[in-house]
Amino acid sequence: MTVVISRVAARPHTSPRAVPSVAMDNSPATTKPAISVAVLFDQFADGVYTLGYRILGDRHLAEDVVQETFIKVMRSLDTYRGDGPIAAWLYRIGYREAIAATRKRRETPLDPDEMLEAGDRPVTSVEDVVLAAELTRRLDAAIARLAEPLRSAFVLRDIEQLSTAEVAQALDISESAAKMRLARARQALRVDLKEYLA
Amino acid sequence: MIMACDQLDTLLPEFFDGTLTAEQEAAAADHLATCTDCRTVVSELEGVGSLYRTHGRQKLPNDASERIREALGLNES
Repeated sequence: MTVVISRVAARPHTSPRAVPSVAMDNSPATTKPAISVAVLFDQFADGVYTLGYRILGDRHLAEDVVQETFIKVMRSLDTYRGDGPIAAWLYRIGYREAIAATRKRRETPLDPDEMLEAGDRPVTSVEDVVLAAELTRRLDAAIARLAEPLRSAFVLRDIEQLSTAEVAQALDISESAAKMRLARARQALRVDLKEYLA
Repeated sequence: MIMACDQLDTLLPEFFDGTLTAEQEAAAADHLATCTDCRTVVSELEGVGSLYRTHGRQKLPNDASERIREALGLNES
């Protein structure tokens, strides 16, 4: 039997990105999921990196989070039974890695300048550079001001576009708690970024 | 069903998830049709997610991606 795992649909404005579905073979003869780590890496590496970066505020540490996450994915893929969204399972590993990384080092505030320097986005003019840099700086600063639990929920739901249920699973919290964190995060960012939302 | 501003506010997570009941969905639509303040709030909350999806998502640098792929043995045929 082939089971196709796909993202849960949401409202059009927050609809999940077009991502390839992950097919797995659940036939009794082969209980080992036919999921390629390479496919998972292609699909989720940027998302785990985004989550790690938003939690840690450090690109090198976020890269380490990606590597450690996928090492664990590789080792534990056999234990994934296919009874839940693979995105939630994988981000749960990534979230734990990122939180563990915060405990290994002294907490330092996110540095918008460091983020800005590495924010390589295509721009076409000096004015574009200035505007893009300013917007990036404001977005980075605003999300960095959120408490980590709110930040992680927001990253997974509104940037990586997991469903609220998947966010709850990834963060190991109830769905109502996930909704509360999302509501608080969105409201705080709305107030902080009002000038860009008119 | 008549929906007040605070009721819509309470239901915003379900509103954004598209998981309102049909009755709630209709009441929310009726309310938004007449309440400028709530339309602004909903629009701005939608805008927050849109801003970050467009400008806040990070891409794993290519050199790091290659290094990790190598470490994981994903480049081996």
